[in-house]
Amino acid sequence: MKRVASLLFIVALAVLLLYVVAGMPPMGDPDNPTATHVIPRYLERAEEETHTVNVITGIILNYRGYDTMGEVTVIFCALAAVLAVLGRERRGVIHGFVDRSEVPSSTIVKTMVRFMVPFIILFSVYTILHGETSPGGGFQGGAVIGGSMIIFTTIFGLYESSRRIPLKVRASLEGAAVMGFFLVGALGLVGGGNFLTYAWPRVSRSLHPSLVVWLTVLVEVGIGLGGAMVLTSILFAMIREEEEIAPSS
Amino acid sequence: MGTALNLVLILLLLATAVLAVTARDLLAAVIIFSVYSLIMALMWQRLQAPDLALTEAAVGAGVTTVLFVITIFKTRRREEE
Repeated sequence: MKRVASLLFIVALAVLLLYVVAGMPPMGDPDNPTATHVIPRYLERAEEETHTVNVITGIILNYRGYDTMGEVTVIFCALAAVLAVLGRERRGVIHGFVDRSEVPSSTIVKTMVRFMVPFIILFSVYTILHGETSPGGGFQGGAVIGGSMIIFTTIFGLYESSRRIPLKVRASLEGAAVMGFFLVGALGLVGGGNFLTYAWPRVSRSLHPSLVVWLTVLVEVGIGLGGAMVLTSILFAMIREEEEIAPSS
Repeated sequence: MGTALNLVLILLLLATAVLAVTARDLLAAVIIFSVYSLIMALMWQRLQAPDLALTEAAVGAGVTTVLFVITIFKTRRREEE
């Protein structure tokens, strides 16, 4: 009885939702209200107003500055909450971790990882620094750096990787990244525009175009480094074993 | 050609989504979920959103999978009835 009732409820909900979808404007139609006002304005003016070739970056990091600010705030608050629950390691203490796998990593795997990780980091640096011309940007590049640190940690262990990025470096970079993002964003408010819109007319007349691009890149670097360090911190906090403090070998 | 590829991707996406929910072995579910993310990244690329494709590949298929695997190793692998 309960099952029949829930099935009926779900079917009714599905019919309602599909009815609403059928009433929406067709996807990709150039006569849609969304495609007639906002998008042409962005496509025509974005390059001269924001000096970024990639219009998506221009929209995210200029026109919708408050939107991005909210997103970054939500992401960093969530990550801070995760770290607050899991707890940090004590300052200056390097934790080991218990390798539960029966087969230790072979020399071939270790050499390959040692060889690949710098190139992965190089790729992410490319993604971050070219955020205004190519797809990707700070968040994507930061996630790739985090991924490379995850690969390194799973093969070499927590001791080796937390020796390379100690808590001192991670904590200060996380804080500096968030502070840098909000400070650069506030430059737009100082210039008379919105948050992050330092490229808008009243400001950009006094700013050199390359400086505007560099400010955009600075925001991207902030988001990227902050994201990467927080991801690494979460990995370390999850993989850490409380009883194992000294290096195992 | 393009439509056939889209159809295959959609079917694979649906199949992996159902399998990831129904799998009893949580490790298998996580791996299937990362396959789901990979197909999703391909679909973002098909929809001409390379930004989202990069994010999905790095975060969805890469980072979250590893975090899920660590969580499974800290708890239990099998789902209990």
